[in-house]
Amino acid sequence: MKFVCLNCETYMTFQKVEKPGEGSLGVFFGCPSCEAKFSMVTNPGETQMVASLGVKLGGRTETAEPFEMTRGTLKEEAQAGAGQMAAYLNEKIQGGQPVAAAAKPSAPDAGGEKTSGGCPFSAMVAEMGLTSGGKPQNGNGTSECTWTADAKEKLERLPSFVKPMVQSSVEAYARKHGYKSITLQVMDDSKSDSPNGIAWTKDAEQRMDNIPDFIRPMARREIERIAKERGLVEITAQVMDEAKEKFMKFM
Amino acid sequence: MTMAAGKDLKTILTKLQYSDDAKVVQQITAQMKQVQARMAGIKQKLVVMSGKGGVGKSMTTVNLALAFARQGAKVGLLDVDLNGPCVPRMMGLHGQSLRMTPEGAQPPVGPLGIKVASMDFFLDDASPVRWKGPMDLSPVWLGLMEMNVIREFLADVVWGELDYLLADLPPGAAADKPPVIAGFIPDLAGAIVVTTPSEVASDVVQKSVTYARDMGIRVLGVVENMSEYRCPSCGAENELFEGNTEAMCEVLDLPLLGRIPFDRKFAKTFDKGQPLLDPEYPTIQKYQDIVGRIQALLDYKKVLAEKL
Repeated sequence: MKFVCLNCETYMTFQKVEKPGEGSLGVFFGCPSCEAKFSMVTNPGETQMVASLGVKLGGRTETAEPFEMTRGTLKEEAQAGAGQMAAYLNEKIQGGQPVAAAAKPSAPDAGGEKTSGGCPFSAMVAEMGLTSGGKPQNGNGTSECTWTADAKEKLERLPSFVKPMVQSSVEAYARKHGYKSITLQVMDDSKSDSPNGIAWTKDAEQRMDNIPDFIRPMARREIERIAKERGLVEITAQVMDEAKEKFMKFM
Repeated sequence: MTMAAGKDLKTILTKLQYSDDAKVVQQITAQMKQVQARMAGIKQKLVVMSGKGGVGKSMTTVNLALAFARQGAKVGLLDVDLNGPCVPRMMGLHGQSLRMTPEGAQPPVGPLGIKVASMDFFLDDASPVRWKGPMDLSPVWLGLMEMNVIREFLADVVWGELDYLLADLPPGAAADKPPVIAGFIPDLAGAIVVTTPSEVASDVVQKSVTYARDMGIRVLGVVENMSEYRCPSCGAENELFEGNTEAMCEVLDLPLLGRIPFDRKFAKTFDKGQPLLDPEYPTIQKYQDIVGRIQALLDYKKVLAEKL
């Protein structure tokens, strides 16, 4: 945080920090040109934010002790009690009313303009293309593909928590390849479809059988990454040879 | 105060040279360098995570650490669950503390030479973590504070030279701390995800896997905990939940590293702080198998060089 002396058009310089009261910091700045001085006083929340960073304003004069922040900010049993920030807000901002009651939004002005007085967070959410439910807008969830009865039955047999993911990936595969109908064959083919758009020849696929099954997903991703780096769209036996040569360097 | 005639703030600022008078940026940079320096002596850093609470992350982390140590590796175990630390109790170290020295905080050493750091070492019996200051109204500051406490665990503990450091992350899924914490550890080798075979757990766990991947964290695989129930009397194993972790792994394109039964006799020893260490015990052998797979995954390039 910096302050600018607008008269002298220069940054004010940090001078010192004092503690004017419990939970409060006074940070002093001065203008190097006109000697103007001022102090920024923080409330307990702002003080806490600085403390949470584990830094000393103005820099350290000695090395930090191990776990300095953890040990310095852990509350001892005797100190556990009413919240400092709640008390501060109650006294300074809410005029002595309970914080929760004072924090209630005021009733909308019937004659006011809805667009300019709206909640800034709702506006931000709308800008991000999200609805209040957290789901993208326009995502109606309906599919333009038709599923054959046997394919649908296979999909229905999957556990409920994986079904949506499988359905969307199969439909994405069908769209990519121009299929209007999803059959068992399309489902099977979609399994070997790479999200990178990289195809595997039969030879290359067979060589993957030599790899322990728990390493295969990682191996597949790594080989596809190598292919992508080289601008290739198909993994062939030759790509596998080149990948092997590259991995030999790690032996 | 009047602004100089005809000048707006943007124009004034373009002429000025910024300097970090309060030295905040400098100190934060120094903090991160200290984390990197401390982590430099550790060969492989792994996190154990799950989107779901109560699936046995701590039990899994502790047993993976023991399994690595049983192979002769030098192991550290970091309990990152600040508000519910239980690793020291499971390792029989509850009541001990970090020893502060000029070199840093020396961690207590548990079974098989495992170095352990945990928030538990700062707390009295039955005391929760309570921070000074206005935490009651500010989850934002609380989050910042907790991230810095974790930073101190990484930067200030004298881990020394280790083959493996395992971090037991707190529960949480997308937009929560675990993937962020994992991102905080320099040169993280990967994440191990723990689930139970229940559909509810799998549903939440797959979200955390997706989020971890979005953060660029390499997810090594899934451990299914509480797969079955091992009868303490006869040793027979029966299903505890009806789920399908294999289907989840297939969809997420992740290997299932292993299945661990719910073993009351075994769990009880950790509850009592006297962990069972017999390498011949069946549940322990399952952890040894999982660790073998993790090592192969960490060394997958060598495996590919040999077998491709």
